[in-house]
Amino acid sequence: MIRAITNLLDSWFGIKEPHRNFLARALPEKINVSYCLGGMAFTAFLISLITGLLLSIYYVPSGRDAYSSMVALHDKVWFGWGIRSIHKWSANLLIIFVLLHAVRVFVHRAYRPPRELNWMAGAIGFVLIMASGFTGYLLPWDQKAYWATVVGTSMARTVPGAGPLIETLLRGGPEVAGATLVRFYSLHVLWIPFGLMLVFWAHFHMVKRQGISGGL
Amino acid sequence: MSQNGKKKALYPYYLRYVLLAALLAIEAIIATALLYPPRVGPAIDLTAPYQPRPEWYFLWIYQLLRYFPGKWAIMGTVLLPSIFVLSFVLIPFIDRGRTGRKKAITAGIILFIALAALTLIPVLTGQ
Repeated sequence: MIRAITNLLDSWFGIKEPHRNFLARALPEKINVSYCLGGMAFTAFLISLITGLLLSIYYVPSGRDAYSSMVALHDKVWFGWGIRSIHKWSANLLIIFVLLHAVRVFVHRAYRPPRELNWMAGAIGFVLIMASGFTGYLLPWDQKAYWATVVGTSMARTVPGAGPLIETLLRGGPEVAGATLVRFYSLHVLWIPFGLMLVFWAHFHMVKRQGISGGL
Repeated sequence: MSQNGKKKALYPYYLRYVLLAALLAIEAIIATALLYPPRVGPAIDLTAPYQPRPEWYFLWIYQLLRYFPGKWAIMGTVLLPSIFVLSFVLIPFIDRGRTGRKKAITAGIILFIALAALTLIPVLTGQ
């Protein structure tokens, strides 16, 4: 039964042969458990993606309704608090896993050519993840979120010349308001995840093409 | 591929470790999520501004803002963070030439100590 389905899928997509090569490829003998950290980071990313999709069903991204939709998520939606908690913690652990993964790659000097672009892809992915943390922090639209974003966006004002313009661009106006919330929501759920998926695609594709570095 | 002596295949030898690691990641996330759920904070009160504390991964910038007040603020808001990020992104290009690895390790250790100290100081002093 399963075989029939996979055969049918293979007749459409032709995915069997390339994946057989991928799974049967030989890996260097010296690798150890620390080589799993990148995979753990990706697992955390997938969980934050899935829980984020679930949260977006109930969350209302407007200055008027965001806070009450958060209260309703906690009080009325079954396990709403749990999905939000898993989203929050998957993001925190994602950052820890990515940091440990970067330390592992650094220690093994696996950023050396031909993998220099892949190190940069990972580092840019990390910056995008931090940006996701910053924009996501505003979305609960409570006292803490609001004032943290006031401080965070006001940092742009210290740039000589273009500072006030950058701050206005970030806020969507002179102050942190409903327009800022919509802007951050768009970045958090559309722009950044899309950018991250592009970066991850390049990251994994290069791992597949270049193989895993043999370690020390 | 690099020459590393004998090799084992991803499937089935390594896949079990990969899946086990993924399972451990999922369990760590669910355990922390159930033990420490976030609360909905008080609603926005524009008449009562207060000094918010960022998430732990932004504490280092928060600490830099304290060290560079007033006209030096750009050091903490833009210059030092840009240097940190650029040196992290460009590690493969710091490690060039005969002494490259030494330079990369120096950069890596300075970056690590700076970020760890700037994160730990506000945590330990509780400010």
